[in-house]
Amino acid sequence: MRRIYRALPGPTPVRIITSIVIVGVALVALHFFYEWVGSSFLDTGGTVG
Amino acid sequence: MTQLTDAAAARAEEVPHLPPPSRGYRLMRGTGLTLVWLGALTLGFVAHQLWITTFFANQNQTELVAALEEHFESAEIVEVPYVPVVPPGETPPPEDRSIVSGALGAPELLRSEAPPEEGAAFAEIRIPSLPSLEDGWAIVEGVSLRDLKNGAGHMPWTPLPGQPGNSVISGHRTTYGQPFHDLDLVEIGDVIEVETALGTHMYSVKEIHVVEPTDVWVTDPRAGAWLTLTTCNPKFSARERLIVVAELIEGPNAEVILGRL
Repeated sequence: MRRIYRALPGPTPVRIITSIVIVGVALVALHFFYEWVGSSFLDTGGTVG
Repeated sequence: MTQLTDAAAARAEEVPHLPPPSRGYRLMRGTGLTLVWLGALTLGFVAHQLWITTFFANQNQTELVAALEEHFESAEIVEVPYVPVVPPGETPPPEDRSIVSGALGAPELLRSEAPPEEGAAFAEIRIPSLPSLEDGWAIVEGVSLRDLKNGAGHMPWTPLPGQPGNSVISGHRTTYGQPFHDLDLVEIGDVIEVETALGTHMYSVKEIHVVEPTDVWVTDPRAGAWLTLTTCNPKFSARERLIVVAELIEGPNAEVILGRL
């Protein structure tokens, strides 16, 4: 994590903003991934979970 | 400054020179890190299922409740002849009583609304004895995965609540807002209220079952007017189904339906 942060270009404020954007995109991607996993592998019918 | 540099150089000489990590060490380290990441990903999935889906379901419920108020105001109510439901395995009555058995030979009429579009909210369910359902949940038409992400869903091939037959409503137990989370706390005799554009239909709980997911007989038609709630059992599992069956006792159509039993 630290290495990735240090590899980001620009001064510290730019790095922080870039980090926040990357984390946000990753969380959104994770949300859709989890939705896909939940509906593909957990659900067994209409009334589930 | 020179002294500091010398001291650092001296310390560096004291540190034993470590050999480069072996291939086995690197393999073990890579495997360990991968497992840690997979564990974190799995924990994230569990958290997503339990809390994030509920967060979004609650957001959707707010919108659905607003849409429901509009639906109640704009829904077109019609009157249709009452046709008794014949359960599977029973023979129908010898004559079409829906046409001729009214008090003066006229058909008895039921209040009805047009079938809602799939995904649309058309009713609200309340169970006063359950804290989680005391304030009510909007019911949408349909029981697809997408429909049930918004809350409870009505099986489209069963009659609407308040109509003759067996109206079936399904809901999640632990995810997507968990509308039926505490359904196991319902007891025989508890009242279930379903508000539709016609008014409030009140049901009394008569049966509670735990069945296999393949026991689809719970959705079979029934004589009279019934409401069947289905959800997963036990909590955090889809191994079984918890079924709560309630009979109509009061409502806009109760007098006609119950008077004809």
